[in-house]
Amino acid sequence: MDLNAFCAKLDEALDVPPGTVRPDQALDQLEGWDSVAVLAFIAMADTEYGVSVPAKDIPECRTINDLANLILRQKA
Amino acid sequence: MINPLTLENRTILVTGASSGIGRATARLLSQLGATIVAVGRNANRLQETTDSLEGSGHHAMVFDLADLDAIPGWIAKVVEQGGPLDGLVHSAGIGSLAPLRVLGMAEVEQVMRVNYFSAVALTKEFARKRIHRQTASIVLISSVAGVVGAAGRTAYSASKGALAAFARSAALELASAGLRVNCIAPAYVRTEMYEATRGSLTDEQLNALVAAQPLGLGEPLDVAYAVAFLLAGTGRWITGAVLPVDGGYTAQ
Repeated sequence: MDLNAFCAKLDEALDVPPGTVRPDQALDQLEGWDSVAVLAFIAMADTEYGVSVPAKDIPECRTINDLANLILRQKA
Repeated sequence: MINPLTLENRTILVTGASSGIGRATARLLSQLGATIVAVGRNANRLQETTDSLEGSGHHAMVFDLADLDAIPGWIAKVVEQGGPLDGLVHSAGIGSLAPLRVLGMAEVEQVMRVNYFSAVALTKEFARKRIHRQTASIVLISSVAGVVGAAGRTAYSASKGALAAFARSAALELASAGLRVNCIAPAYVRTEMYEATRGSLTDEQLNALVAAQPLGLGEPLDVAYAVAFLLAGTGRWITGAVLPVDGGYTAQ
């Protein structure tokens, strides 16, 4: 998975300026990371990567990297 | 003893019959004596439905309702094979859970096509004189999402609300022809669609959803009972209604 492309897609899904989302970023420091953002992430994972990310796994994620790994795990 | 819910000698077309509410409805209507024309996209799952029906003479029709232009010719063929219809239950539908900022227009169009446009095309054909019998009834499966809103549900809500609005006007337009048109608005029911939604929600969100339904999570049969009531003689003075079958969800 191209992490930069993933971050760019999250920029759009979270409606933040391009370049805002970075792989090592902590989710609790990320502006706009709320319940609608979680839905947006799940929908984005489905349309862009073709995977159903279980919402129950998201609270365990600490960083953007963890979110990417969640998608990779579903793809495996 | 009488059975006011009898559907003997009635032929009823049920869309979305390969799963969930459509499947439970087809099954119940057959138990009430109806002959079922079961419609779905998946041949194997549709076969499972028809195998579970009571009585004989039922038909399974594999058809994709998203192919709107093919609906008129297809309905004509259905009637050619099985005779005129007494009822139509439109339970086919797809879900959509996507906030506006990631909602693609292709998804909006697909949701409207499968959930709503197909109902228009089906009703339009059903209303033709040679397609339906003297007194016939249409039940469209809408949703509480068409009555109240929910974040991430814009496309789905709009398609289900469109069904309800359509049913009211169609009811008025078709009353003189002996046709009744009604909607049912279920809340969360234990179906394949609910299972798919479940994955997109945290346990906390899920518990909140079910807690918002005073009578708990519904079963497909709970909705099927309401469909039968509207289709049978019991519903003869009801048209243009949107009946909540939602465990009390919209009472609040």
